Parts: sequence; structure tokens; C-alpha cells
Amino acid sequence: MSTEQSLGGTGHWRLYALLFLFVLIPPAAAEKVKLDPSNWGLEEGKACVSCHKKSSAALTHEWENSAHANAGVNCLDCHLADQVDNDAIEHEGAIIATIVSPKDCGRCHTKEFKETEGSVHAKAVSVVKNRLPALADDLSGKEMVAAGCAQCHGSIVEVRGDGTLTPETWPNSGIGRINPDGSLGSCSACHGRHSFSKAQARDPSACTWCHTGPDSPDDEVYASSKHGMLYEANRSKMNLQSDQWVLGKDYSAAPTCVTCHMGTTPGVKGSHDVGMRDAWSLNRPVSERQYLVIFEDGDRRELPESQPAPRRGSELVKLDGTMGKVKAVASPKRRRQIMNKVCLECHGKNFVNSYMKQFDNLVKLYNEKFGKPAEAIMAALYEKQLLTPAPFDEPIEFSFWRLWHDEGTAARHGAAMMSPNYASWEGMHRVAQNFYGEFLPQLRQLAGEAVANELIETHLTSLDQNSWLNNPAKPNPTLGYGIGKASHE
Amino acid sequence: MSKLRLPLFITRHVVIALLIGGFAGIGFVLFLTEFDHLTSTETFCTTCHSMELVAEPYRQSSHYKPASGVQASCGDCHVSEGVFAATWDHFVGSKDLFNQIFGPDYDDPVINALHLPDAAFAARDWFKQRDSATCKRCHVKEAIFGTRPDTVLIHTEDAKDKTCIECHYNLVHRVVPDKAVFKRDKWNRMIEEEFGLSPGEADKLLGGG
Repeated sequence: MSTEQSLGGTGHWRLYALLFLFVLIPPAAAEKVKLDPSNWGLEEGKACVSCHKKSSAALTHEWENSAHANAGVNCLDCHLADQVDNDAIEHEGAIIATIVSPKDCGRCHTKEFKETEGSVHAKAVSVVKNRLPALADDLSGKEMVAAGCAQCHGSIVEVRGDGTLTPETWPNSGIGRINPDGSLGSCSACHGRHSFSKAQARDPSACTWCHTGPDSPDDEVYASSKHGMLYEANRSKMNLQSDQWVLGKDYSAAPTCVTCHMGTTPGVKGSHDVGMRDAWSLNRPVSERQYLVIFEDGDRRELPESQPAPRRGSELVKLDGTMGKVKAVASPKRRRQIMNKVCLECHGKNFVNSYMKQFDNLVKLYNEKFGKPAEAIMAALYEKQLLTPAPFDEPIEFSFWRLWHDEGTAARHGAAMMSPNYASWEGMHRVAQNFYGEFLPQLRQLAGEAVANELIETHLTSLDQNSWLNNPAKPNPTLGYGIGKASHE
Repeated sequence: MSKLRLPLFITRHVVIALLIGGFAGIGFVLFLTEFDHLTSTETFCTTCHSMELVAEPYRQSSHYKPASGVQASCGDCHVSEGVFAATWDHFVGSKDLFNQIFGPDYDDPVINALHLPDAAFAARDWFKQRDSATCKRCHVKEAIFGTRPDTVLIHTEDAKDKTCIECHYNLVHRVVPDKAVFKRDKWNRMIEEEFGLSPGEADKLLGGG
């Protein structure tokens, strides 16, 4: 008591203490490992390198230059397995596993493990599971699943009774991989083996490995955005190697994928739960704003805003089908607020709010003008049995799929990440081309004039945005109508 | 000049007996040599169908189809060098013949696959106890140059105190995990799946066999 008083007497001790604390605990991007170093550096693991320097020199070289090697983390610290593990193998006298699962990494990187475990990334297999029979089995085959789908989404790793991993499911670095130990995901999806370099994972290429192509053109979107443009031009100023990586402190030249979706900004904690700040679902036939539900056990799921917000303490089905107790719910508004906070490091409030308005408006436009009508028409066609229940055996099914899964996604992602080209030409323009040029003609052909007209009237032309179809006589010279006639000059 | 004198007990009969015994001995050793040689061949070993089953993967291996043309036959790896050691191995190995006739039906691919791990563990122990002697008939550690420059260094430095079999197992026959990580339950399920058996049937076959 007297000490406190005397300290208080010397001046603003609280302020000093606070300042001191800030100096001591800088807001780090990736949390420092809290475990005592005596937990790693296994004696038996020190000899591995001598042989591996010769047998796989490049891999070993990567490790030698890594933070792991620097901290004394050796091969066996990560690859050590228990005799009873399904995928345990004997290797030069040691019992190891080839796959280092997130659970293994989580022995030291506890925070990151917990964050990824409940994230959309870790659920990348379950989110597509019910699409696989149609997309993977019917349209291609399991050979493609191994080489394609599973390489990004993750495989369900199969260990044979003789301890070997099946070539159908391994090698695999898919981000939602289901590991032999039951854990979900793969840290090496983003953190390339065996350097596990911070700089590499902070580079947008870590994400664009999978986020590219027609259904998720984020590589292309980012590259053609102002943010991507600045990144390319200022790469050397990005300070990617820095131990901590706080926007506005350690770098400022450009935001990367990490910056907005998981990075640390003053006032915003960094997290390996990558979807946390996503207010919209952008990869559905119709976008919805979504809650983030956090369960007692740390697991998470999203829930569309159209459904009632779950109460704290109530029971809710988790994505794996089991029941979970709700611990907290982040509203779409809250999620957006967090994202906005990141933007505010560089932009003014009005700029950010108006930009988000432009983005939201495009999503709503897509929803109302194309997504909802197309979805309603498809439902009607199935109901009227004008389509067989099996997907992808009729042309209109491909058109609808492409409309939302590829073109619609490109438009929405383009608007979300400020690529004018992807919002428009690669996105909405293609949506429109498909919708008016393929989907509707296919509908007429399939359903006949009468039924098609009825559906078009109900779901399209009664809406303002599609009412232009009611005025076929309204001219415009874009495609040559009236060119040369004085009245249309 | 003294005359070479044989001891008195070397009588004519003794000389004849020695000669006959000697020749018989030489004959016997020659017989054993030929016998060991004959009983070490692939043709002899695979007269039992059970051995045909383990020979299948062998015929796909680099010991059967080497780039060099140096082919290792069953006995080259599984029978020791030298007539006495080889004979002893065959003598000990005769228990396999006994089991083949009176034991489980090893000719049945399922029974064979179920018992395979135990055979593999026994064979690995055998190699290890003999410091991989039969491997060394052909392979010389210092001469393993491999396809990469460091292969010879790995063998002379890192594997200096190791014997071949410690690293090089699962080269020839069907893959069987090391004893330390072998899981009988998983193995049985795999065999059941492979042969379309119902779950638990392998355990019964193994127990009843």
C-alpha cells in the first residue's frame, strides 16, 4: 500500500507501466511459441540431418535455413510418432510418421492450431462432400479427385493395414485434409515445407495456389486490383521477413490476402481463422450475410442471417453433424466492422463505408437480378419434372452452375476486392451473357413457350431490373441498330 | 637314410577303412553341397504352392529383375554361405516343410497373407543375427555408389554401424511394417478387404488355422 502510494507520488507510474508493457509485449502477427524450449530438440532427432543432407539435400537445406532449425527444432520433433498411431512407421530405428498434422504442429503452435481447427479452411472437405458424387464421380472420376479436388480441399488420408499411405490420398497438402490422427487441415498448404518461412506464407502466392481459376479467381482479382498493383510495385518494401507484421507499423506499402483476412492491425487481433471477417457468403447461388457461431469447444460454423441468431448456451448442429453448445455469435455487422478496421489503417471512414456500399450493392444486384430468379426457375423445372433429378445431364444445369459458381463468384469476388475487370467483364458481364444468351433460351427450349413465358414473367420481368426485356422495341446502336439513320445518330 | 615307417596300428585294414571313410566323407560333403545348391533354387522352393505366393512379388522386384543381370535366387538370400551353415539352415528350415504338411493351409492365399507378417519378422531377425551375411555375398558397403554422389557416403558414414536389413527391408516381398509398429488388427482388416471377407473372418481363420 505504502509502496503504491510512494510510486504514485513519484508521478504517472501507471502511464509508465503501461508504456513499459507495450514495449514488452508488441502485438505480434503470429504468436510466439510459449512452450519451454526443453520440449523440443529431441536427442534422437539430431542425427537425422547427417544422412538427409546426403539423401535429400535440398529439403534439408530448406530446414537448415529455417526458424525451426534456428530454434533447435529438429526432424523428430515434428515427425515423431507413437507406436499405436495408424500411420507410424519405423525409420532408421525411430518411430515416425510421414504426415505432420496440424495436431503435431499444435504441440507448440497452440494458438494457430486452435484457430485453424474451427475455420472454414479446416472444413474444406466437408463443405464440398455432398457435391462430390456429382462433380467428382459423375463428371470426372476418382483419379481427378486425387490430382485435383483433394489437392486444395484436402484428402481423407487412408492408411493401409500395412502402414502405407494410399497414392489416392497421399501426397496431399489440401487445407482441409482429414489426417490419420483425426485432425483437420494441413499447415503446409500455406507454409511450404521445410522452410516454413513467414515471408513465403505472407506472400499472396501462398493463397493463390488454390484461390485461382474460374470458381475462385482471387489471384486474378487481387492482381488486377489497386492493392495487387501496389504490392507488385512495392514488394521490396513489404518487410515480409519481419518477426512481427503489424499493418501501419511493420509495413504499409500494400495489403496482401493475409493483411485483410487474418493479419494484425492495431485494434484487430490476427487470427488463423481465415473466414472470420467475411460478412457475406459469396460462393453460393444466392449470397447471404452470415453469422459466425463459436461453440464451447472452440469449433465454429457459419449460419445465414435469414435464420434466427442462436442464443448463447443453446444447442446447435455443428458441421460434422454433432451437437455443440453455442458460446458466442458474431453478427455479420460485427464481422464487417472488424474488416473495416483493417481498411481504416489506410483509408478514411467515408471512403471505407462507401466502398463497402458499392460491394454490397453489387452482391445484392447479382442476387436479385440473376441469382434468385435463376435459382427459382431451376427449382420450378425440377418440380415440374422438366429436368431429371440428376445434375449435369442437361445443358441448362451447366449454365446455372456456371452462372453462380464461376461467373457469379468472379463478379462478387471482383467487387469484394476491388478488381473492376473481374466485377464487370469477367464477372457480371459473363453472368448476363450466360443468363440472357444461354440460360433463358435453354429454358424456352426445355419448357416450351407457354411454361417458359410464365416462369420468366413470375421470376424476371415482374422485377424492375429485368423489365427491360418487356421493351424489345427500345433501340440502342451498340450492336449496329440504326447505324447510318439520321434519327439514331 | 632311414626308411619312413608307419605306426604299427596302421594296418592294411585301417588303411582301407580310412580310404573308404575318406571317400565316403568327401562324397557326403559333395552330396550336401549339391543338396544345398539344389534346395536353394527358386524351382525347388516353389514346388510348394505357398512359396509360389511369396515368389510373386519377388519376381517384380529388383532382385529378380536387376539392371545388371545379377539375379538373386531364394537361397542366395535365405540360406547361409558354406556347406555346414547351409545344411544347418536347411535342417532348421525343415520345420517349414513340416508346417506345410501338417500345419495351416499356407497354400491358401488368405492364410498365407495372414501368416506373412510373422514370417517376415522371423526372416528379418535371421538376417540381423547374421549381420546380413547373405546380402554381403553380393553387396559391398564401400562399393554402393548408387545413382547419386552421396549414396556411397551415406553407406560408409551414416550406416557405418548398421547392418543392411535394418534399413533395407520390404525390398522383395509384400510390404510388412516393422514389428514395432505392426498392428495385427489393421493387417487382418486389410486382408479381409482384399479378399472380400466379412469383418472378423480373418481372426477366425488365423485362430483356427
